[in-house]
Amino acid sequence: MALIQVQSVSRNVATSDGELQILSELSFSIDRGEVVAVVGASGSGKSTLLSLLAGLDLPTTGQVVIDNVNLNDLDEEQRAILRGEKIGFIFQSFLLIQSLTALENVMLPAELAGRPNPEKEARELLAKVGLSERLTHYPNQLSGGEQQRVAIARAFIGQPQILFADEPTGNLDSKTGERVEALLFELNREFNTTLVVVTHDDKLAQRCDRILRLDAGQLVEQQHVA
Amino acid sequence: MWPKISWRLLKHELRRGELTIMAAAVALAVTAVLSLSVFSERLQLGLLDRSSEFLAADRVLRARGAEIPTDWLDRAEQENVAWARRVTFNSMAFTNGEMTLVDVKSVSDGYPLRGHLEVASAPYMDGDRIDSLPQAGEVWVQGSLFQALALDIGSVLEIGDAEFTVTHVLSHQPDSGFNVFADSPTVLIHIDELERTGLIQPGSRVNYNYLFAGDPSDIQRYETWLLPQLDDVTQRWTSIQDGDSPLSAALNRAERFMLLASLLGVVLAATAVAVAAQRYAQRNFDAVAIMKTLGGRTPQITRIFTLHLLLLTGVSIVLGLILGNVLQYGVIWWVSEQLGYALPSGGSGPYVLAVATGLLCALMFSLYPLLRLLKIPPLRVLRRDIVAQGLGKWLHWLIAGSTIFLLMVIYSGSLMLSVALFAGGVVAMLLLLAISRLFIRASRSAGMQAGSSWRLAMAGLQRRAAQNSMQMLSFSIAIMLFLLVLALRNELLDDWQNQLPEDAPNYFVVNVAPHQVAPMQEMFAAESIQATELYPIVPGRLVAINGTMVRDAVTKEERDESEFREGFGRELQLTWQADLPAENRILQGEWFSPGKAGVSVESQVAERINVRVGDELTFRVAADEFTVPITNIREVDWNTMQPNFYMVFSPDLLEGMPATYIASFHLPPERRVELYRLFRDFPQASLIDVEDILTQIRDVIGHVSLAITFVMVLVIFAGALVLVAQVQASLDERRQELVILRTLGARSSLLSRAVSYEFVVLGALAGLIATIAMEVAVYALQTQVFNMQPTFHWRFWLLGPSVGAVIVAALGWSVCYRLLQHQTGALIRRLQ
Repeated sequence: MALIQVQSVSRNVATSDGELQILSELSFSIDRGEVVAVVGASGSGKSTLLSLLAGLDLPTTGQVVIDNVNLNDLDEEQRAILRGEKIGFIFQSFLLIQSLTALENVMLPAELAGRPNPEKEARELLAKVGLSERLTHYPNQLSGGEQQRVAIARAFIGQPQILFADEPTGNLDSKTGERVEALLFELNREFNTTLVVVTHDDKLAQRCDRILRLDAGQLVEQQHVA
Repeated sequence: MWPKISWRLLKHELRRGELTIMAAAVALAVTAVLSLSVFSERLQLGLLDRSSEFLAADRVLRARGAEIPTDWLDRAEQENVAWARRVTFNSMAFTNGEMTLVDVKSVSDGYPLRGHLEVASAPYMDGDRIDSLPQAGEVWVQGSLFQALALDIGSVLEIGDAEFTVTHVLSHQPDSGFNVFADSPTVLIHIDELERTGLIQPGSRVNYNYLFAGDPSDIQRYETWLLPQLDDVTQRWTSIQDGDSPLSAALNRAERFMLLASLLGVVLAATAVAVAAQRYAQRNFDAVAIMKTLGGRTPQITRIFTLHLLLLTGVSIVLGLILGNVLQYGVIWWVSEQLGYALPSGGSGPYVLAVATGLLCALMFSLYPLLRLLKIPPLRVLRRDIVAQGLGKWLHWLIAGSTIFLLMVIYSGSLMLSVALFAGGVVAMLLLLAISRLFIRASRSAGMQAGSSWRLAMAGLQRRAAQNSMQMLSFSIAIMLFLLVLALRNELLDDWQNQLPEDAPNYFVVNVAPHQVAPMQEMFAAESIQATELYPIVPGRLVAINGTMVRDAVTKEERDESEFREGFGRELQLTWQADLPAENRILQGEWFSPGKAGVSVESQVAERINVRVGDELTFRVAADEFTVPITNIREVDWNTMQPNFYMVFSPDLLEGMPATYIASFHLPPERRVELYRLFRDFPQASLIDVEDILTQIRDVIGHVSLAITFVMVLVIFAGALVLVAQVQASLDERRQELVILRTLGARSSLLSRAVSYEFVVLGALAGLIATIAMEVAVYALQTQVFNMQPTFHWRFWLLGPSVGAVIVAALGWSVCYRLLQHQTGALIRRLQ
């Protein structure tokens, strides 16, 4: 049974020159536990697709169904709750809250969801990503690689069913990028999460089960990686 | 769970200095309000204490002809209000076959309730404070009587049926008053001796005065109870703020200045809060978007940030209260040292006001930024340029405007003043905004001609035109309010100084006979004493206006009250002059033309008895009655220490009447001992010493000057905070730009110069605009609020722009300096 179903999804935005179609008539599905890469040139609509899959935005037409729930039927609040329960995020620019320490950043989603013992969980995860020594550091006291490891720990704390990663290594040098990548796939296997990675990086895409290629808002290729 | 998140955010952000400006702004508002209101309350109590000495009490009830019911005094005791009696009347005093008219003053124990008496061993010598009153059989006598009756200490003085021994020269009495026409010398006896004189008979013209003093609240309560019972014809209630004395004018002006300046201080602090709150919200845009993405629901996030803000407000208010208290204690200690006595303590009112101001400022000014913050969509995590939609700027202006207005009303307690200031402020802001835009546009074309740092600076100004004109507006407002307070302070102090220059007349000489006028003028000239001219005085009464009789308390006839017009109810001192007296100004009509009889009326009197130019007034002088038209209405500066008159006649009218003459002169204190010698040849003339009054007025003005300076310092702080907050607010955007320029290879010296130039231009323009606005505002305030002559402040036209340029450039550069020191890589990372 597919965990994510995308049915005839289009997204238009209004510009000064009239309506601009960013995504047109996309349809595909992603199974539970599958690891999928979304690739394409800049402006091909990758980030917009990610925002629709995560319920950060709604499609102009068509629908996104996650775990049998049609996102179009939920309001902003209900989508937030759904994200809190089922979805984790990793961003290119890490997006840690600057005024919270590494530990507090990781605890945050668990606290927002009201789960017990967020601190214990967060410490374990930070140990897994190798940052036990950095618990009380603020984001700007950490290197880029360390910040992204904090973000990975934060993404896994709710044991989400789905993890969306937007160019997770895009801001890192290749060596650090590789280490972060390895960590991401390792944890993904351990928690058996469905992973959707938006990336430019072909090498990263090749590590996934399947590659969805976008071009000018259209799904032009679906490739299963051997 | 969410309170923990709020607390954590607050704790870290405070430690990391991200909330410093916001906390400082709220704390400053609280500090300013607290220290200002405590200080001004205590200073005002101190001032009232000091100035009450002029009454010898806080309030005086004057009753003519009859005593007041004793239960009124019982009531005072119940209300914890102390009282004393003072009974005064004129009588003849005899010694060695000589006699003269004296002002008999008999007082009860406790007198004076405020201030003190001083006595000396010889006339016109410096006296020493004395805390007792004349004993049975004793009389204390003013120096001029020694001269008139050739008295010595130990002489016996007969007053009515009783004999008294002169034991002291009365050299200072707090309630000697300003009325130089009370020209008889005072003799002071105990009230218990009054009966022995046998002078109080039914129908005697006696003034019964009741002096009251106590805590302001007790006095207030008693006043509320008493006032409705007074008949207002023979019974009059006075406090020091009533009347035309120079002191009451100074007090009222000072009060208005303090009120206005503290209002401006609060508005400035509020502006700083508003700027800081906006930045606070902007900095949290990402945090909110992240929380929403990670599953945070809006109500949850609302609670987190509301609590965060409340905690921040709480911390800031506590900080402000501590600071305000320290400051206030420090200042009061210093002022008490300066003045040589402790200021009385005030109530809890200022604390309530300060906390309320802090809460209002922080919560109301944060409301709009907070609403915007909470509306940030989670999509911002992917699309970084997204901000909240659907919240109009008008809402911001509405909330901010009504809060400032509310603060003004709470603070000033006057709806009218608030409406006027607020409306003026709005108009000024719109004008300033327009001028700012214009200047920025003009500066762009000027900058294009210059070197690369200048070009960069001007391009920066232009690019952020909208933001910069807001920024310039708040710079201008801050600088303007600073200049305004400075200018007004100087004006007020100068004005007081001018009224009471070092050589202000400190003596009046009255009762000068006509044949002594020329010898006295010669004496003044020979002794190089600065004196006014000698004015003739003829006592007379106003009996009718345009043929209608005026009401007069002395008139005993039983007639219908409605047939009378409002008059004076007392004898007037009439004079005549060929020329308009100095310090007088004609408001309506013309000065006398030769050969035409007429009278010139003082403007306040004209208003009170409701007459204008052309009306006919009938006077009675001795047994003669005559009618003259009003030729002009004249404004008199009552604050000058020179003889001033309600009615001045054209020379021909009174010339034949029996007149005495009056003048005032300045005699340096060290020449005081010469008085006796100087006036030995003029035995009928009486001297009135107003040096004491002058000293007291100067002392009070000293107080007020201190207060005003303190207020000014606070306003400067508030203004500086606005500037810092504003520069900080533009930091994030500058950071981005600097990174780009650095990445493109701009050297840091070039960037540093560009940043400095941009702020120099901003500051100088803001200073210039501020000076223009200040000039207009000072003109309006001088003419409308303070009743002063308007003045032009050319020095400020240089001061404003240079102060603006220097301060704004220094602030801007110091804030941006750190940015310029960072490695480009570190800056890029911070951008994300």
